[in-house]
Amino acid sequence: MIRVALIDDHALVRAGVRGELEESENSDVDVVAEAGTVADAIDAIVRSKPDVVVCDVHLPDGTAADVIAGVVERGVTSRFLALSVSDAATDVIHVIRSGARGYVTKAIEGRDLVDAVRRVNDGDAVFSPRLAGFVLDAFSANLESPGNPELDELTAREQEVMRLLARGYAYKEIARRLSISIKTVESHASAVLRKLQLSSRNELAAWAANRKLV
Amino acid sequence: MTTEVHRPRWQIPPLSRDERILGGACQALATELGVAPLAIRLSFVILVLAGGWGLVFYGLTWAFLAWAGPTGAEAAAYVPEPKAASLQHRYLAIALIVAGLILSLRTLGFGFVDQIVFPIGFVLTGVLIAWNRQQTEGGVGAAVRISAGVLVAAGGMIAVAALNVDSWEAVRLLSIMAVVLLGLSLIVGPSVARIGTELDKERQERVRADERARVAAHLHDSVLQTLTLIQKHSDDPKRMAQLARRQERELRTWLYEATPEQPGTMRLGPALDNVADAVEHDHEVRVEVVTVGDSLDLRPESIEDLVSATREAITNAAKHAEVDRIDVYAEHRTNAIEVFIRDAGVGFDPDAVAEDRHGIRQSIRARLERHGGRATIFSEPGQGTEVELYLPLNETTRRPATAGEPQPEPDEQEAEIDPENLLKAGGEHP
Repeated sequence: MIRVALIDDHALVRAGVRGELEESENSDVDVVAEAGTVADAIDAIVRSKPDVVVCDVHLPDGTAADVIAGVVERGVTSRFLALSVSDAATDVIHVIRSGARGYVTKAIEGRDLVDAVRRVNDGDAVFSPRLAGFVLDAFSANLESPGNPELDELTAREQEVMRLLARGYAYKEIARRLSISIKTVESHASAVLRKLQLSSRNELAAWAANRKLV
Repeated sequence: MTTEVHRPRWQIPPLSRDERILGGACQALATELGVAPLAIRLSFVILVLAGGWGLVFYGLTWAFLAWAGPTGAEAAAYVPEPKAASLQHRYLAIALIVAGLILSLRTLGFGFVDQIVFPIGFVLTGVLIAWNRQQTEGGVGAAVRISAGVLVAAGGMIAVAALNVDSWEAVRLLSIMAVVLLGLSLIVGPSVARIGTELDKERQERVRADERARVAAHLHDSVLQTLTLIQKHSDDPKRMAQLARRQERELRTWLYEATPEQPGTMRLGPALDNVADAVEHDHEVRVEVVTVGDSLDLRPESIEDLVSATREAITNAAKHAEVDRIDVYAEHRTNAIEVFIRDAGVGFDPDAVAEDRHGIRQSIRARLERHGGRATIFSEPGQGTEVELYLPLNETTRRPATAGEPQPEPDEQEAEIDPENLLKAGGEHP
C-alpha cells in the first residue's frame, strides 16, 4: 500500500480526492493523514511519515512550497505531488522548484490520479499536459543568454517528450511513438524535472513572473 | 467617416475632495483646464498680492463651485471638455489673466495695504510648498517640504516687515504676528493634521472600495450567475459539470491573464480557449488547451483561419472519436505555429474515407493552405486521432511591422480608479 497524506484547505475537496484515491480500480493507496493548513500539514506529515503527499498549491497560511520546506527541515523524506485548480505558471513552477515531483490539476480523473501517486512514489516525475507546456515555455523563452548550457538546456529528446506530453500523450503512447521503452520515457521526464529544479538561471523565475503579466 | 462622440455641454467642474488644500477650488479649475493645480494655486497667491483680491476671488470661485457644481455620482462622472488650445497656450492665458488682474487692481488701488497683504501672500506660498503633495513621497520628503514651506513663509514676512516699516515697528509687528501664528497653530494645527490623515485614509478606503466593487461586479456577473444556473440544473449532472467547467475557465482567465483582450488584436491562446469553451458547450467533452508562447505580430486573418481550423478539428473529434477528453496543444516556434488536436478515441483509416467525405477535412486544409500552411491527419482504427496544423510565419502571415504595437498598459487600472492621476501626470511637467 502507498501511504498518502492529503493537504487541502477544503474538507469537501479532501473527501472527494480521498474517495477517488481509495475507491479507484486496483487502488493500492491508503490515505493516512489529512490537513488544511501549512502548520497542520507539517505536523501531520512529520507524525505519519507518508510515502506521498498530495498537496494543494494554495493554503490559507502559505503554499505547498512552505509545506515542502518545513517537512524537509524536519528530515522527513515524503515525496510531493502538487494538486491544484490554479494554473498560474508562477505558482506551479515555484512548487516544482521547491521539490514537488509533479503537478496535476484537480480535474484529473481518479484512475489517472492513482497512477500519478504511484509514479511519484516510484520516484518518477508527473507531468500534466499543462505542466509540460509551462516547462517548454520556460526553457524556450530565453535562448539569448546560454548561462550553463549542459545543465540548463533540454536535449532534443527531452523536448520531444515534453511536447508529446503537452499534446496529451500518455507515457506508453510516447514510448511507442518514439520507439523507446517506457523506462526511457520516464528517465527523460525525470531528467527534465531535475533540470527544472536545479536550473540556476534566474530567467526561469523571471519568466514565471512575466508570465503572470502577459 | 468621422465618429460622432456625444458629450454633454460644458460642465461646471466639481470641487475636488481628493486633492484639495483648502476648499478644492484650485484643483477643480486645474482639472477643468487640464493644467497642473500648482499653476492655479500660484495664480491665486499672486493675486493676493494685489490688495488681497486673490482671497476674494478664491472665496467667490469656491462658493460658486460649491453652489453650482455637480456632486456625488455626477461629480464622479465628470470629464473635462477637451481643450482646443495647446497646453502652452493655456498656461500663457492663465499668466496673462493674472498679470492683467494684478495691474488693473493695483492701478485702481483698492484693496488692503501691502503690509497686510504681502505677509499673507508669503504664508500662502509657504502653505503651497508645504502641501503640494506628490503621490510617491516618504516621510522625510514631507518633513523637508513642510520645513521649506515654513521657512519661505517666515522669511518672506521678515523681509516684508523689514522693508516696509522701521526696525522698532518691524520687531513689534513680527512679535504680534508670531504670537498670532503660534496661537493659530495651537488651535488649528491638530485638526489640520487630523484632516490630513483622514483625507489620506478616506482616499485609500475609496480606492479599496472601488477595487472591491469591481471584483464584486465581476463575481456577480459570472460566478453567482453560474451558481444560480447550477442550482436550477441540479437534476442534470452533465449540464452542471459543463456550467462549472465553463465558469472555471472564465474565472481562471480573469485571475491570471490580467490584460483583457484588446480590440483589433487576436491572441491565439485566449482564442483557442474560447473555441474549447464553445465546443464543450455543444458536446459532452472536456477540451484541454495548452499554449506555449504567444505572439502578437500575426495577421488577424491568419490567426482566425488557424483558430477556425482548430475548431473544426476539435468538433470532429467531439462528434466521432467517442472520447470524453480532447487535448489541444499550440506552440509558437521561431518560424511557425503548430497546433495539435488529439484524442485517444476510436480512430479511423484516413485512406479508407470516401472522397466525398473529405468536405470537413478540406475545410481544415483549405484554411491553412491559404496562408502557406498545411494540415495533416494521423489516425488508425483504435489508436486515436491527431490533427496537426502548421502555419508558417512569413510575410503573408505576419502583420506588417508598425511602430504603435499595442502594449499592455500597466497604469490602466489606476487610471480607472482615479482619472486625476493621469491629468496630473500630464500637467505637472509641461
